[in-house]
Amino acid sequence: MSAVDPIIAIRGVSKYFGSLKALDAVSLDILPGEKVVIIGPSGSGKSTLLRAINRLETIDEGNIVVDSMNLDDEANDINKIRMELGMVFQSFNLFPHKTVLKNLTLAPIKLKKISSAEAEKTALNLLEKVGICDKADNYPVQLSGGQQQRVAIARALAMEPKIMLFDEPTSALDPEMIGEVLDVMTKLAREGMTMVVVTHEMGFAREAADRVVFMDEGRILEIGSPDHFFNQPEHPRLKKFLSQIL
Amino acid sequence: MAEKPVIVEIDVGDGAAIPRTEDKGLVSAWWLSFIGAIVCLLALLIFKPDPYVRLIKFLPDGIIVTFQVTISSIALAIVIGLFTGLGRISQNRFINLAASTYVEVVRGIPLLVQLFYIYYALGRFVRVPDMAAAVIAMSVCYGAYMGEVFRAGIKSIDYGQTEASLSLGFNKAQTMFYVILPQAWRTILPPVGNEFIALLKDTSLVSILAVADLLRRGREFASESFLYFETYTMVAIIYLIITLILSKLVSIMEERLSRHERR
Repeated sequence: MSAVDPIIAIRGVSKYFGSLKALDAVSLDILPGEKVVIIGPSGSGKSTLLRAINRLETIDEGNIVVDSMNLDDEANDINKIRMELGMVFQSFNLFPHKTVLKNLTLAPIKLKKISSAEAEKTALNLLEKVGICDKADNYPVQLSGGQQQRVAIARALAMEPKIMLFDEPTSALDPEMIGEVLDVMTKLAREGMTMVVVTHEMGFAREAADRVVFMDEGRILEIGSPDHFFNQPEHPRLKKFLSQIL
Repeated sequence: MAEKPVIVEIDVGDGAAIPRTEDKGLVSAWWLSFIGAIVCLLALLIFKPDPYVRLIKFLPDGIIVTFQVTISSIALAIVIGLFTGLGRISQNRFINLAASTYVEVVRGIPLLVQLFYIYYALGRFVRVPDMAAAVIAMSVCYGAYMGEVFRAGIKSIDYGQTEASLSLGFNKAQTMFYVILPQAWRTILPPVGNEFIALLKDTSLVSILAVADLLRRGREFASESFLYFETYTMVAIIYLIITLILSKLVSIMEERLSRHERR
Protein backbone atom coordinates (compact mmCIF):
# COMPACT_ATOMS: atom_id res chain seq x y z
CA MET A 1 0.00 0.00 0.00
CA SER A 2 1.43 3.31 -1.04
CA ALA A 3 1.41 6.38 1.14
CA VAL A 4 -1.15 8.12 -1.05
CA ASP A 5 -4.52 6.57 -1.84
CA PRO A 6 -5.13 6.12 -5.56
CA ILE A 7 -7.64 8.53 -7.12
CA ILE A 8 -8.60 5.84 -9.63
CA ALA A 9 -8.54 2.21 -8.59
CA ILE A 10 -9.26 -0.36 -11.28
CA ARG A 11 -9.59 -3.86 -9.82
CA GLY A 12 -9.94 -7.06 -11.83
CA VAL A 13 -12.00 -5.47 -14.58
CA SER A 14 -13.25 -7.63 -17.43
CA LYS A 15 -15.48 -6.71 -20.33
CA TYR A 16 -16.90 -8.86 -23.08
CA PHE A 17 -18.13 -7.85 -26.50
CA GLY A 18 -20.06 -11.00 -27.32
CA SER A 19 -17.47 -13.76 -27.10
CA LEU A 20 -14.57 -11.31 -27.45
CA LYS A 21 -12.85 -10.46 -24.21
CA ALA A 22 -12.11 -6.75 -24.58
CA LEU A 23 -10.73 -6.40 -21.06
CA ASP A 24 -9.25 -9.35 -19.22
CA ALA A 25 -8.94 -8.90 -15.44
CA VAL A 26 -7.26 -5.51 -15.69
CA SER A 27 -6.02 -3.87 -12.48
CA LEU A 28 -4.42 -0.45 -12.31
CA ASP A 29 -4.05 2.23 -9.65
CA ILE A 30 -3.62 5.86 -10.59
CA LEU A 31 -2.40 8.31 -7.98
CA PRO A 32 -3.51 11.94 -7.65
CA GLY A 33 -1.49 14.14 -9.99
CA GLU A 34 -0.11 11.19 -11.88
CA LYS A 35 0.08 11.14 -15.68
CA VAL A 36 -0.48 7.70 -17.10
CA VAL A 37 -0.16 7.04 -20.81
CA ILE A 38 -1.74 3.87 -22.19
CA ILE A 39 -0.36 2.53 -25.45
CA GLY A 40 -1.00 -0.59 -27.44
CA PRO A 41 -2.10 -1.84 -30.84
CA SER A 42 -5.66 -1.13 -31.97
CA GLY A 43 -8.14 -3.53 -30.46
CA SER A 44 -5.97 -3.96 -27.39
CA GLY A 45 -8.73 -2.64 -25.11
CA LYS A 46 -7.00 0.61 -24.17
CA SER A 47 -9.88 2.86 -25.23
CA THR A 48 -12.39 0.50 -23.63
CA LEU A 49 -10.48 0.71 -20.36
CA LEU A 50 -10.40 4.51 -20.51
CA ARG A 51 -14.10 4.72 -21.31
CA ALA A 52 -14.88 2.33 -18.47
CA ILE A 53 -13.41 4.85 -16.03
CA ASN A 54 -16.33 7.24 -16.60
CA ARG A 55 -18.72 4.41 -17.42
CA LEU A 56 -19.30 5.30 -21.03
CA GLU A 57 -18.50 1.60 -21.24
CA THR A 58 -20.03 -0.74 -18.68
CA ILE A 59 -17.94 -3.55 -17.25
CA ASP A 60 -18.88 -7.17 -16.65
CA GLU A 61 -16.51 -8.08 -13.82
CA GLY A 62 -14.43 -6.29 -11.23
CA ASN A 63 -14.90 -2.75 -10.02
CA ILE A 64 -13.63 0.76 -10.56
CA VAL A 65 -13.38 3.32 -7.77
CA VAL A 66 -12.96 6.98 -8.71
CA ASP A 67 -12.21 9.49 -5.98
CA SER A 68 -13.39 6.92 -3.40
CA MET A 69 -16.73 6.47 -5.20
CA ASN A 70 -17.46 3.03 -6.58
CA LEU A 71 -18.94 3.34 -10.08
CA ASP A 72 -21.16 0.30 -9.61
CA ASP A 73 -22.60 1.45 -6.31
CA GLU A 74 -26.16 2.59 -6.95
CA ALA A 75 -25.82 5.09 -4.10
CA ASN A 76 -23.26 7.04 -6.13
CA ASP A 77 -24.67 9.33 -8.78
CA ILE A 78 -22.74 8.55 -11.95
CA ASN A 79 -23.40 12.08 -13.22
CA LYS A 80 -21.65 13.52 -10.16
CA ILE A 81 -18.69 11.22 -10.69
CA ARG A 82 -18.51 12.22 -14.35
CA MET A 83 -18.23 15.87 -13.34
CA GLU A 84 -14.88 14.96 -11.74
CA LEU A 85 -13.74 13.27 -14.93
CA GLY A 86 -13.12 15.50 -17.93
CA MET A 87 -13.00 13.61 -21.20
CA VAL A 88 -11.49 14.47 -24.55
CA PHE A 89 -12.51 12.39 -27.55
CA GLN A 90 -10.76 11.45 -30.75
CA SER A 91 -13.48 13.12 -32.82
CA PHE A 92 -13.71 16.28 -30.61
CA ASN A 93 -17.52 16.02 -30.30
CA LEU A 94 -18.00 19.75 -29.84
CA PHE A 95 -21.63 20.85 -29.87
CA PRO A 96 -22.04 22.20 -33.41
CA HIS A 97 -25.14 24.26 -32.62
CA LYS A 98 -23.33 26.33 -30.01
CA THR A 99 -20.53 28.86 -30.27
CA VAL A 100 -17.13 28.03 -28.83
CA LEU A 101 -17.91 30.10 -25.73
CA LYS A 102 -21.30 28.41 -25.24
CA ASN A 103 -19.67 25.02 -25.63
CA LEU A 104 -17.59 25.88 -22.59
CA THR A 105 -20.30 27.50 -20.49
CA LEU A 106 -23.23 25.11 -21.09
CA ALA A 107 -22.32 22.48 -18.53
CA PRO A 108 -21.06 24.82 -15.76
CA ILE A 109 -24.21 26.99 -16.01
CA LYS A 110 -26.68 24.11 -16.11
CA LEU A 111 -24.93 21.70 -13.77
CA LYS A 112 -22.96 23.84 -11.35
CA LYS A 113 -25.60 26.56 -11.33
CA ILE A 114 -23.08 29.36 -11.61
CA SER A 115 -24.00 32.66 -13.23
CA SER A 116 -23.43 33.01 -16.95
CA ALA A 117 -21.15 36.02 -16.36
CA GLU A 118 -18.92 33.96 -14.09
CA ALA A 119 -19.02 30.98 -16.46
CA GLU A 120 -18.02 33.21 -19.37
CA LYS A 121 -15.14 34.68 -17.44
CA THR A 122 -13.81 31.22 -16.61
CA ALA A 123 -14.40 30.11 -20.19
CA LEU A 124 -12.46 33.03 -21.65
CA ASN A 125 -9.57 32.33 -19.30
CA LEU A 126 -9.54 28.72 -20.42
CA LEU A 127 -9.70 29.69 -24.07
CA GLU A 128 -6.72 31.95 -23.53
CA LYS A 129 -4.92 29.06 -21.87
CA VAL A 130 -5.46 26.86 -24.92
CA GLY A 131 -4.63 29.80 -27.19
CA ILE A 132 -7.90 30.48 -29.00
CA CYS A 133 -9.67 33.27 -27.14
CA ASP A 134 -10.20 35.12 -30.43
CA LYS A 135 -12.53 32.34 -31.61
CA ALA A 136 -14.97 32.55 -28.70
CA ASP A 137 -17.91 33.62 -30.87
CA ASN A 138 -17.20 31.26 -33.75
CA TYR A 139 -19.01 27.99 -34.35
CA PRO A 140 -16.98 24.77 -34.14
CA VAL A 141 -17.33 24.10 -37.87
CA GLN A 142 -15.38 27.30 -38.58
CA LEU A 143 -12.35 26.01 -36.66
CA SER A 144 -9.51 23.72 -37.75
CA GLY A 145 -9.27 20.27 -36.23
CA GLY A 146 -6.47 21.30 -33.89
CA GLN A 147 -8.43 24.32 -32.71
CA GLN A 148 -11.55 22.20 -32.18
CA GLN A 149 -9.63 19.73 -30.08
CA ARG A 150 -8.18 22.52 -27.96
CA VAL A 151 -11.69 23.87 -27.43
CA ALA A 152 -12.76 20.35 -26.44
CA ILE A 153 -10.00 20.26 -23.83
CA ALA A 154 -11.08 23.68 -22.54
CA ARG A 155 -14.70 22.52 -22.43
CA ALA A 156 -13.76 19.55 -20.25
CA LEU A 157 -11.62 21.80 -18.01
CA ALA A 158 -14.51 24.24 -17.56
CA MET A 159 -16.15 21.74 -15.21
CA GLU A 160 -12.97 21.86 -13.09
CA PRO A 161 -12.52 18.10 -13.06
CA LYS A 162 -9.99 16.35 -10.84
CA ILE A 163 -8.99 13.96 -13.60
CA MET A 164 -8.71 14.32 -17.37
CA LEU A 165 -9.20 11.37 -19.70
CA PHE A 166 -7.87 11.60 -23.25
CA ASP A 167 -9.05 9.07 -25.82
CA GLU A 168 -6.60 9.26 -28.73
CA PRO A 169 -6.88 13.06 -28.82
CA THR A 170 -4.58 13.53 -31.80
CA SER A 171 -5.52 10.55 -33.96
CA ALA A 172 -8.04 12.44 -36.07
CA LEU A 173 -5.76 15.43 -36.65
CA ASP A 174 -3.61 16.43 -39.60
CA PRO A 175 0.07 16.01 -38.69
CA GLU A 176 0.76 19.75 -38.52
CA MET A 177 -1.95 20.21 -35.90
CA ILE A 178 -0.87 17.46 -33.53
CA GLY A 179 1.80 19.66 -31.95
CA GLU A 180 -0.55 22.41 -30.82
CA VAL A 181 -2.81 19.92 -29.05
CA LEU A 182 0.11 18.09 -27.41
CA ASP A 183 1.49 21.45 -26.23
CA VAL A 184 -1.76 22.14 -24.40
CA MET A 185 -1.71 18.68 -22.88
CA THR A 186 1.92 19.02 -21.79
CA LYS A 187 1.12 22.35 -20.18
CA LEU A 188 -1.77 20.75 -18.34
CA ALA A 189 0.47 17.92 -17.18
CA ARG A 190 2.99 20.39 -15.76
CA GLU A 191 0.23 22.09 -13.78
CA GLY A 192 -0.29 18.86 -11.90
CA MET A 193 -3.53 17.58 -13.43
CA THR A 194 -4.17 13.86 -13.07
CA MET A 195 -4.22 12.57 -16.62
CA VAL A 196 -4.96 9.23 -18.26
CA VAL A 197 -4.06 9.38 -21.93
CA VAL A 198 -4.60 6.80 -24.62
CA THR A 199 -2.36 7.78 -27.51
CA HIS A 200 0.03 6.72 -30.21
CA GLU A 201 2.22 9.78 -29.62
CA MET A 202 5.36 8.22 -28.15
CA GLY A 203 7.01 11.64 -27.87
CA PHE A 204 4.29 12.75 -25.48
CA ALA A 205 4.55 9.52 -23.50
CA ARG A 206 8.30 9.97 -23.13
CA GLU A 207 8.08 13.61 -22.14
CA ALA A 208 4.96 13.92 -19.98
CA ALA A 209 4.17 10.50 -18.56
CA ASP A 210 4.99 9.32 -15.05
CA ARG A 211 4.13 5.80 -16.06
CA VAL A 212 3.45 4.13 -19.38
CA VAL A 213 1.09 1.17 -19.63
CA PHE A 214 1.25 -1.29 -22.51
CA MET A 215 -1.89 -3.24 -23.33
CA ASP A 216 -2.60 -6.03 -25.76
CA GLU A 217 -5.60 -8.33 -26.14
CA GLY A 218 -7.38 -6.80 -23.18
CA ARG A 219 -4.48 -7.29 -20.74
CA ILE A 220 -1.86 -5.01 -19.27
CA LEU A 221 1.42 -6.55 -20.30
CA GLU A 222 3.86 -4.01 -18.94
CA ILE A 223 3.91 -0.92 -16.74
CA GLY A 224 6.92 1.28 -16.22
CA SER A 225 8.53 4.67 -16.26
CA PRO A 226 9.06 6.11 -19.74
CA ASP A 227 12.77 5.55 -19.38
CA HIS A 228 12.37 1.87 -18.53
CA PHE A 229 9.64 1.53 -21.09
CA PHE A 230 11.44 2.82 -24.15
CA ASN A 231 15.01 1.88 -23.21
CA GLN A 232 14.66 -1.52 -21.55
CA PRO A 233 11.31 -3.00 -22.59
CA GLU A 234 10.91 -6.51 -21.23
CA HIS A 235 7.84 -8.10 -22.71
CA PRO A 236 8.53 -9.51 -26.21
CA ARG A 237 5.15 -8.23 -27.45
CA LEU A 238 6.10 -4.72 -26.33
CA LYS A 239 9.53 -4.97 -27.96
CA LYS A 240 7.87 -5.97 -31.22
CA PHE A 241 5.29 -3.16 -30.91
CA LEU A 242 7.95 -0.52 -30.23
CA SER A 243 10.13 -1.74 -33.08
CA GLN A 244 7.18 -1.36 -35.42
CA ILE A 245 6.27 2.18 -34.50
CA LEU A 246 9.53 3.86 -33.52
CA MET B 1 -15.14 -9.06 -39.56
CA ALA B 2 -17.88 -9.49 -42.12
CA GLU B 3 -18.97 -6.42 -44.05
CA LYS B 4 -22.29 -5.04 -43.00
CA PRO B 5 -24.86 -5.40 -45.75
CA VAL B 6 -25.76 -2.08 -47.26
CA ILE B 7 -29.41 -1.30 -46.76
CA VAL B 8 -30.80 1.27 -49.13
CA GLU B 9 -33.57 3.26 -47.57
CA ILE B 10 -36.35 4.26 -49.88
CA ASP B 11 -38.22 7.20 -48.51
CA VAL B 12 -41.76 7.49 -49.81
CA GLY B 13 -43.71 10.28 -48.22
CA ASP B 14 -47.44 10.58 -48.46
CA GLY B 15 -47.52 14.36 -48.65
CA ALA B 16 -47.33 16.49 -51.74
CA ALA B 17 -44.02 16.10 -53.51
CA ILE B 18 -41.66 18.75 -52.23
CA PRO B 19 -39.91 20.33 -55.17
CA ARG B 20 -36.18 20.24 -54.59
CA THR B 21 -34.09 22.75 -56.47
CA GLU B 22 -32.06 20.00 -58.12
CA ASP B 23 -35.19 18.26 -59.36
CA LYS B 24 -35.97 20.37 -62.41
CA GLY B 25 -38.93 18.20 -63.44
CA LEU B 26 -40.73 18.67 -60.15
CA VAL B 27 -39.99 22.38 -59.99
CA SER B 28 -41.53 23.00 -63.39
CA ALA B 29 -44.41 20.67 -62.48
CA TRP B 30 -45.00 22.79 -59.42
CA TRP B 31 -45.16 25.97 -61.48
CA LEU B 32 -47.37 24.28 -64.09
CA SER B 33 -49.85 23.10 -61.44
CA PHE B 34 -49.81 26.34 -59.53
CA ILE B 35 -50.26 28.64 -62.53
CA GLY B 36 -52.78 26.19 -64.00
CA ALA B 37 -54.83 26.21 -60.80
CA ILE B 38 -54.75 30.00 -60.52
CA VAL B 39 -55.68 30.46 -64.19
CA CYS B 40 -58.56 27.95 -63.85
CA LEU B 41 -59.81 29.67 -60.76
CA LEU B 42 -59.73 33.13 -62.34
CA ALA B 43 -61.25 31.89 -65.59
CA LEU B 44 -64.15 30.24 -63.76
CA LEU B 45 -64.78 33.34 -61.65
CA ILE B 46 -64.67 35.68 -64.64
CA PHE B 47 -66.47 33.65 -67.28
CA LYS B 48 -69.01 31.81 -65.16
CA PRO B 49 -69.56 34.03 -62.16
CA ASP B 50 -72.99 32.60 -61.43
CA PRO B 51 -72.26 29.59 -59.33
CA TYR B 52 -68.54 30.18 -58.88
CA VAL B 53 -68.61 33.61 -57.24
CA ARG B 54 -71.37 32.37 -54.96
CA LEU B 55 -69.25 29.31 -54.20
CA ILE B 56 -66.13 31.25 -53.37
CA LYS B 57 -68.13 33.33 -50.95
CA PHE B 58 -69.63 30.23 -49.36
CA LEU B 59 -66.47 28.15 -48.89
CA PRO B 60 -64.04 30.30 -46.82
CA ASP B 61 -65.71 29.36 -43.51
CA GLY B 62 -64.78 25.80 -44.35
CA ILE B 63 -61.20 26.75 -45.20
CA ILE B 64 -60.88 28.31 -41.75
CA VAL B 65 -62.20 25.16 -40.08
CA THR B 66 -59.85 23.03 -42.16
CA PHE B 67 -56.93 25.11 -40.93
CA GLN B 68 -58.17 25.03 -37.35
CA VAL B 69 -58.36 21.23 -37.41
CA THR B 70 -54.99 20.98 -39.15
CA ILE B 71 -53.12 23.31 -36.83
CA SER B 72 -54.56 21.93 -33.58
CA SER B 73 -53.97 18.38 -34.76
CA ILE B 74 -50.39 18.98 -35.86
CA ALA B 75 -49.57 20.76 -32.60
CA LEU B 76 -50.91 17.86 -30.59
CA ALA B 77 -49.33 15.34 -32.96
CA ILE B 78 -45.91 16.98 -32.48
CA VAL B 79 -46.20 16.60 -28.70
CA ILE B 80 -47.37 12.99 -29.01
CA GLY B 81 -44.70 12.38 -31.63
CA LEU B 82 -41.91 13.72 -29.43
CA PHE B 83 -42.84 11.39 -26.59
CA THR B 84 -43.42 8.48 -28.95
CA GLY B 85 -40.06 9.06 -30.61
CA LEU B 86 -38.32 9.24 -27.24
CA GLY B 87 -40.20 6.12 -26.15
CA ARG B 88 -39.13 4.25 -29.27
CA ILE B 89 -35.45 4.86 -28.52
CA SER B 90 -35.82 4.39 -24.76
CA GLN B 91 -33.73 1.66 -23.16
CA ASN B 92 -36.58 1.05 -20.72
CA ARG B 93 -38.20 -2.04 -22.22
CA PHE B 94 -41.69 -1.24 -21.00
CA ILE B 95 -41.72 2.32 -22.37
CA ASN B 96 -40.15 1.15 -25.59
CA LEU B 97 -42.73 -1.59 -26.02
CA ALA B 98 -45.61 0.76 -25.23
CA ALA B 99 -44.46 3.34 -27.77
CA SER B 100 -43.75 0.75 -30.45
CA THR B 101 -47.12 -0.91 -29.93
CA TYR B 102 -48.88 2.43 -30.23
CA VAL B 103 -47.12 3.10 -33.53
CA GLU B 104 -47.85 -0.39 -34.78
CA VAL B 105 -51.54 -0.29 -33.88
CA VAL B 106 -52.20 3.19 -35.20
CA ARG B 107 -50.38 2.54 -38.44
CA GLY B 108 -52.39 -0.62 -38.98
CA ILE B 109 -55.79 1.02 -38.79
CA PRO B 110 -57.07 3.29 -41.55
CA LEU B 111 -57.53 6.88 -40.45
CA LEU B 112 -61.19 6.82 -41.46
CA VAL B 113 -61.80 3.82 -39.23
CA GLN B 114 -60.01 5.58 -36.37
CA LEU B 115 -62.24 8.61 -36.86
CA PHE B 116 -65.39 6.46 -36.77
CA TYR B 117 -64.05 4.62 -33.79
CA ILE B 118 -63.40 7.69 -31.67
CA TYR B 119 -66.61 9.39 -32.75
CA TYR B 120 -69.14 6.58 -32.83
CA ALA B 121 -67.71 3.56 -31.00
CA LEU B 122 -66.30 5.50 -28.06
CA GLY B 123 -69.29 7.81 -28.32
CA ARG B 124 -71.23 5.08 -26.55
CA PHE B 125 -69.30 5.84 -23.37
CA VAL B 126 -68.35 9.49 -23.68
CA ARG B 127 -69.91 12.05 -25.87
CA VAL B 128 -67.02 13.69 -27.71
CA PRO B 129 -67.78 16.96 -29.48
CA ASP B 130 -67.32 16.80 -33.27
CA MET B 131 -64.35 19.10 -33.43
CA ALA B 132 -62.61 17.47 -30.47
CA ALA B 133 -63.16 13.98 -31.90
CA ALA B 134 -61.69 15.13 -35.18
CA VAL B 135 -58.61 16.67 -33.57
CA ILE B 136 -58.06 13.69 -31.25
CA ALA B 137 -58.32 11.17 -34.05
CA MET B 138 -56.07 13.13 -36.39
CA SER B 139 -53.42 13.79 -33.77
CA VAL B 140 -53.41 10.23 -32.42
CA CYS B 141 -52.94 8.98 -35.95
CA TYR B 142 -50.33 11.53 -37.00
CA GLY B 143 -48.61 11.33 -33.61
CA ALA B 144 -47.55 7.82 -34.54
CA TYR B 145 -46.08 8.95 -37.84
CA MET B 146 -44.53 11.96 -36.16
CA GLY B 147 -42.96 9.62 -33.62
CA GLU B 148 -41.03 7.98 -36.43
CA VAL B 149 -39.93 11.41 -37.68
CA PHE B 150 -38.63 12.33 -34.24
CA ARG B 151 -36.96 8.97 -33.79
CA ALA B 152 -35.15 9.29 -37.12
CA GLY B 153 -34.18 12.89 -36.34
CA ILE B 154 -32.76 12.00 -32.93
CA LYS B 155 -30.94 8.98 -34.34
CA SER B 156 -29.38 11.14 -37.04
CA ILE B 157 -27.30 12.95 -34.41
CA ASP B 158 -23.89 11.36 -33.97
CA TYR B 159 -23.61 9.28 -30.79
CA GLY B 160 -20.41 11.17 -29.94
CA GLN B 161 -22.62 14.14 -29.02
CA THR B 162 -24.38 12.04 -26.41
CA GLU B 163 -21.08 10.75 -25.06
CA ALA B 164 -19.61 14.24 -24.86
CA SER B 165 -22.67 15.47 -22.99
CA LEU B 166 -22.72 12.52 -20.59
CA SER B 167 -19.01 12.90 -19.93
CA LEU B 168 -19.62 16.48 -18.79
CA GLY B 169 -22.06 15.21 -16.19
CA PHE B 170 -25.41 15.73 -17.91
CA ASN B 171 -27.95 12.98 -17.37
CA LYS B 172 -29.82 11.41 -20.25
CA ALA B 173 -32.82 13.77 -20.14
CA GLN B 174 -30.58 16.86 -19.99
CA THR B 175 -28.51 15.47 -22.85
CA MET B 176 -31.64 15.08 -24.95
CA PHE B 177 -32.93 18.53 -24.06
CA TYR B 178 -29.74 20.62 -24.26
CA VAL B 179 -27.69 18.77 -26.84
CA ILE B 180 -29.59 16.35 -29.06
CA LEU B 181 -32.99 17.95 -29.73
CA PRO B 182 -31.58 21.42 -30.53
CA GLN B 183 -29.55 19.74 -33.26
CA ALA B 184 -32.22 17.30 -34.39
CA TRP B 185 -34.90 19.86 -35.17
CA ARG B 186 -33.20 20.76 -38.44
CA THR B 187 -33.60 17.20 -39.62
CA ILE B 188 -37.07 16.97 -38.15
CA LEU B 189 -38.58 20.20 -39.45
CA PRO B 190 -38.88 19.40 -43.19
CA PRO B 191 -40.67 16.05 -42.67
CA VAL B 192 -42.91 17.75 -40.11
CA GLY B 193 -43.83 20.26 -42.81
CA ASN B 194 -44.57 17.33 -45.07
CA GLU B 195 -46.80 15.72 -42.47
CA PHE B 196 -48.56 19.05 -42.05
CA ILE B 197 -49.53 19.03 -45.72
CA ALA B 198 -50.59 15.39 -45.60
CA LEU B 199 -52.64 16.10 -42.50
CA LEU B 200 -54.31 19.08 -44.11
CA LYS B 201 -55.46 16.87 -46.95
CA ASP B 202 -56.60 14.15 -44.58
CA THR B 203 -58.72 16.61 -42.63
CA SER B 204 -61.18 16.28 -45.50
CA LEU B 205 -62.13 12.98 -43.83
CA VAL B 206 -63.51 14.83 -40.81
CA SER B 207 -66.30 16.18 -42.98
CA ILE B 208 -68.12 12.92 -42.23
CA LEU B 209 -68.19 13.87 -38.54
CA ALA B 210 -70.31 16.95 -39.14
CA VAL B 211 -67.28 19.20 -38.83
CA ALA B 212 -67.90 22.02 -41.26
CA ASP B 213 -64.52 21.94 -43.01
CA LEU B 214 -63.88 22.89 -46.61
CA LEU B 215 -65.18 19.63 -48.04
CA ARG B 216 -68.23 19.63 -45.78
CA ARG B 217 -69.11 23.16 -46.81
CA GLY B 218 -68.81 22.06 -50.42
CA ARG B 219 -71.16 19.15 -49.77
CA GLU B 220 -73.67 21.47 -48.14
CA PHE B 221 -73.56 23.78 -51.11
CA ALA B 222 -73.85 20.93 -53.61
CA SER B 223 -76.75 19.21 -51.90
CA GLU B 224 -78.73 22.42 -51.89
CA SER B 225 -77.90 23.57 -55.38
CA PHE B 226 -77.29 20.18 -57.06
CA LEU B 227 -74.23 21.76 -58.68
CA TYR B 228 -71.95 18.82 -57.92
CA PHE B 229 -69.54 19.35 -60.80
CA GLU B 230 -69.03 23.04 -60.14
CA THR B 231 -68.74 22.61 -56.37
CA TYR B 232 -66.19 19.83 -56.33
CA THR B 233 -64.16 21.49 -59.09
CA MET B 234 -63.91 24.52 -56.87
CA VAL B 235 -63.12 22.50 -53.74
CA ALA B 236 -60.39 20.57 -55.55
CA ILE B 237 -58.82 23.76 -56.92
CA ILE B 238 -58.78 25.35 -53.47
CA TYR B 239 -57.16 22.28 -51.84
CA LEU B 240 -54.61 22.19 -54.65
CA ILE B 241 -53.67 25.85 -54.30
CA ILE B 242 -53.31 25.56 -50.53
CA THR B 243 -51.13 22.43 -50.62
CA LEU B 244 -49.01 23.81 -53.46
CA ILE B 245 -48.29 26.98 -51.51
CA LEU B 246 -47.49 24.97 -48.38
CA SER B 247 -45.19 22.57 -50.20
CA LYS B 248 -43.33 25.53 -51.64
CA LEU B 249 -42.91 26.98 -48.17
CA VAL B 250 -41.58 23.67 -46.89
CA SER B 251 -39.07 23.45 -49.71
CA ILE B 252 -37.87 27.00 -49.05
CA MET B 253 -37.51 26.16 -45.37
CA GLU B 254 -35.64 22.97 -46.20
CA GLU B 255 -33.24 24.85 -48.45
CA ARG B 256 -32.59 27.53 -45.83
CA LEU B 257 -31.83 24.89 -43.23
CA SER B 258 -29.41 23.01 -45.44
CA ARG B 259 -27.69 26.24 -46.46
CA HIS B 260 -27.23 26.97 -42.76
CA GLU B 261 -25.51 23.61 -42.43
CA ARG B 262 -23.03 24.37 -45.19
CA ARG B 263 -21.88 27.55 -43.47
